[in-house]
Amino acid sequence: MARKFSLHIWVSLLLAFGLAAGGCAQQSGPAAPPGGAPPAQGSAPKGGEFRINMSTEPDTIDPNRANFTTSILVASQVFEGLLTYDKDLKLVPGVTREVPSVANGGISSDGKTYTFKLRSGLKWSDGKPLTAKDFVFTIKRSLDPKLAAPYANTLYDIQGAEAYNTALGTKDARKEASDAQLAALREAVAVTAPDDGTLMVKLANPRPSFLQLMALWVAWPVREDIVTQFGEKWTEPPNYIGNGAFVLARWAHNERLEFTPNPNYHGQKPNLDKLVFLMISDANQAYLAYVNGELEATAVPDANTKLVMADTSLANQTVRYNELVIFGFEFNAKSPPFDSAKVRHAFAMGVDRNALIEKVAQGVGKVAYSPVPPGMPGHDASVGKEFDFNPAKAKQLLAEAGYSDPTKLPKITFSFTDTSSNRIRAEFFQGQMKQNLGVEVTLDPLDSRTYQQRFNAGQFQMVYGGWGADYPDPDNFVPELFKTGSGNNHTNYSNPQVDVQAKACQSETDEAKRLAACAQAQKLVVGDQPWVFLFYRERFWLLKPSIKGFQVTAKDQLPGNRFYNQLYVQK
Amino acid sequence: MFVLRRVLWLGPVLLSVSFITFVLMHLVPGGPWDSDKTLPPAVIENLNRRYGLDQPYWQQYLSFLARALQGDLGLSFIRQNQTVSEILLQGLPVTASLAVLALVLALVTGLTLGVVAAFRQNTWVDYLCVAFATLGASTPSFVLGILLVLTLALGLKVVPTSGWGQPQHLVLPALTLTALPAAYIARITRSSMLDVIHQDYVRTARAKGLAEQVVILRHVLRNALIPVLTVAGPIGAHLAAGSFVIETLFAVPGVGRLFVQSVLARDYGLIMGATLFYTVIISLANLAVDILYAVVDPRIRY
Repeated sequence: MARKFSLHIWVSLLLAFGLAAGGCAQQSGPAAPPGGAPPAQGSAPKGGEFRINMSTEPDTIDPNRANFTTSILVASQVFEGLLTYDKDLKLVPGVTREVPSVANGGISSDGKTYTFKLRSGLKWSDGKPLTAKDFVFTIKRSLDPKLAAPYANTLYDIQGAEAYNTALGTKDARKEASDAQLAALREAVAVTAPDDGTLMVKLANPRPSFLQLMALWVAWPVREDIVTQFGEKWTEPPNYIGNGAFVLARWAHNERLEFTPNPNYHGQKPNLDKLVFLMISDANQAYLAYVNGELEATAVPDANTKLVMADTSLANQTVRYNELVIFGFEFNAKSPPFDSAKVRHAFAMGVDRNALIEKVAQGVGKVAYSPVPPGMPGHDASVGKEFDFNPAKAKQLLAEAGYSDPTKLPKITFSFTDTSSNRIRAEFFQGQMKQNLGVEVTLDPLDSRTYQQRFNAGQFQMVYGGWGADYPDPDNFVPELFKTGSGNNHTNYSNPQVDVQAKACQSETDEAKRLAACAQAQKLVVGDQPWVFLFYRERFWLLKPSIKGFQVTAKDQLPGNRFYNQLYVQK
Repeated sequence: MFVLRRVLWLGPVLLSVSFITFVLMHLVPGGPWDSDKTLPPAVIENLNRRYGLDQPYWQQYLSFLARALQGDLGLSFIRQNQTVSEILLQGLPVTASLAVLALVLALVTGLTLGVVAAFRQNTWVDYLCVAFATLGASTPSFVLGILLVLTLALGLKVVPTSGWGQPQHLVLPALTLTALPAAYIARITRSSMLDVIHQDYVRTARAKGLAEQVVILRHVLRNALIPVLTVAGPIGAHLAAGSFVIETLFAVPGVGRLFVQSVLARDYGLIMGATLFYTVIISLANLAVDILYAVVDPRIRY
C-alpha cells in the first residue's frame, strides 16, 4: 500500500513541477461508489468520525456576523434557521412547522406580513427552551449597527430594519445616534413574537424572495443571555450554544474544530461520534493527508485532476458536482474600447470556452453562456449560444467597431487576483486574444485586497471574476449584478430595459410573472455582454468509500455540509 | 548596566517600528473590508466604527500606542472574536517549541559536522560534510518539506503528513526547519575552526603537550564559537518568529502564518501586533548573543 501511494505521489509531484506528463496505471482497489442513498433513520451504523479540510481558520463563527464560507460552514453545523434547504435546494421547514405561503396563511395577501409557526418543544443544545422571542432578538441583533453584521442589508426589507442598521450613516455622510435613539429604532423593527410559538415579520415592501433571506445565517438564532454574558467569548466552546444537529466540542485555533451530536436536536440526530474540520491551507498537503488516511474527504488540486481521473482506485472515490457560481470576464463599460458592445461581443466570440475547460481546468467546470447557473430557477441553457467561439465573426465585429487593424485598439489591461489558478487562466485568455483576434492584452496580477478595492471602485478595464449565489433565486444574480447602480454592479453597465425587468424580478408578487421578468432581464444582459460568461464552477473532491449517506447540493460550503447529520461509516 | 541600557533602547526601537509599520500598512491599497462581494457603505461604516477605523489616522495611531502601553494590542479582523494578544499568545508556544527543537538540532548537527570537517580537512569526510552543508543551504524548505512528507509520512508511515497536537507532529516541521540553519552553522564552524587551528596559541598548546581533546575543546572550539554565536542569534530569532512556508505546509498553528495572513487580509491590528512581536524577539535574541559573547570570549567585557 505504501509503495503504491508513494509512486503515485512521486508522479503527481513531477507533474506539478512540469517535468513529466501522462497518467499512472495502477491496480484497481475496492470499487464501491461514494455516497449512496441515506438509510432510514435508525438503521445506519452509529459511531465513527468524519474528517474534512476547511483550509483556514474562520474569521468568526458567530452566525449573525458571518461573511465568508468558513464562518457559515461552522455555524451551519451548530445552528438551524426558521427555514432550510433540501437536497434540491427547495426551502423546507427548519425550526418552523411549515414553509409560510399565502395558501397556509403564513404570508398575507399583500405579501407584506409573514407569520412563522415554530415546532413545539424546541430546545437549545443546553436544554433550555427555544422560542420565537429568540428570533426576535437575533434579527434585531443582526441589524444592530454596533454589531456591524456584513449581511445585515439582506434584512432591509423588514419595516424599520434599514433605518436602524444605517443609523450611523456612511463614511461620506456620517450620522450620530444616542443610545436612546438606537433603542427606539431597534424597538421599531417590525419583528414580534405574539406568543412563544409564533414569529411575525412585517415588510416595508413585498419581497418575493424574502423566505430565502430568512434562511440565511443572519437569521439563525443566537441566545441573548449567552451573547450578553460572554461577549466576544461566546463563540468559544462550551459557550457556543446552538440548536442544530451538532455542538462544537473543541476549537484548537488555526488547527481544528471538533463537533459532537446535539442530543436536543429536533431533527435527525447525527450517526457520527465526531465531525472534524481541519485547517490545512496547502491544497496539495491536504490531498496527501487524504491519501495517507488522515482525512475522509479532500479537494483534488488542479495538477492532480487528470491523475485521479485515470487512477482506477481513486476514480471510484470522486465526488463531482456543479455549484451556483458563474465565472467570466467583466468589462468596464465606461472604459474604451469596451464602451462598444461590438468589441465586447468580439471578445466573447474570441475565447474558446471548451479549450479553457478541457486544457486549462483539466475538464473540471461546465461551459456557460449566461449568468444564472443550472440547478436553480431561471437557468436557460439556450441563452447566449450566439456568443460561442467564432474567431471569424469576432474579427468581423472588431472591424465593424472600427478596428479592422486590431493593433489600433487602445491598450487593454486585464486585472485579476494573483493566484496560481487565475494566472493560468489569464495567460490562456491572453494567448486566445493574440491568436484568435490579433489583440494584445497586458496582464495585471494583483494581491486580492488591492484587486478588490480597484474592482469595487470601478478602476479597471477588464477583470477575471465570478459570482456565487447567497440563495438559489435569480434575483440574487441578474438584478444584483446588472441593475444600474446595484451594489455589486461594478462594470458601469446600465440598460434601462434591464432595470425595469430586474426590478420586477425583485418585487413582482405573481411568481410566474416574476420569473419571466428575471428571464427577460437575463436575455437582455447576455445580449449586451457586460461580462463574457465562461463557466459554472464544478467541485472535484475525493471521498473515502467507507463514508455513506453523503449528499451534496449546488450550494454547499463544503461538499455535503448541509447533511453531515446523515453521514455514517461503513466498516 | 549594559543589559539595562539595551533593554531601555527597546522603547525607541519599538516606537519607530510601530510608526513605520502604521504608515506603510495604510499606504498599501485595499482595506480590510474589500471583498469579492461588495458591502453596502452603511455596513462598512458600521464595521469601521466597531474597529475604530472611522477616526483620523493620527488618532488611530495614538490610541494604538496608548492601548499598547497597557499591553492591549487591539482587535483582529481575521479572527474577530479574539484580541491580537490572545492570538499571538496562542501561536507563541507552538512556534517556540518548534524553534527550540530546531535550534538545538541545528546546533548539534551543525557544530558536529563543522568540527569534524575542519579536523579532517580535504578528506572525504570533509567533502561529505561540505556537500551536506551546500545541499542543506540551497534546498528550498518547501521542496525539502514535501520530500520529507513523501518519505517519512507516505513512504515509511512513521509520522502524519501534517497537523498539530501530538509529539509526532513535531518531526516533519522540525526537520525541515533545521536543515538550513544546520548547514549554515556547519559552514561557519568549519571555516572558523580552520582559522583558529592555525593560530599561534594553538600551536603553543600542542607544544605544551596538551591532549588533542583538550586542545580542541578548550582552545580551538571555544574561540571558533564566536562567529557561530553571531549567526545563532539571528537564526534563533528567525526560528522564533516562525516560518510562513513551513507552518502553512504542515498546518502548524504558530505565529509564522499570522504575519503573512495579516498583511494579505489588511488586518491592521494583527499586522501591528505581529510586527512589534517580531521586533521584540529579534532585539532580545541579539541581546542574548551579546551577553553570550562575554561568556565565551574573556576579551569581551561590558
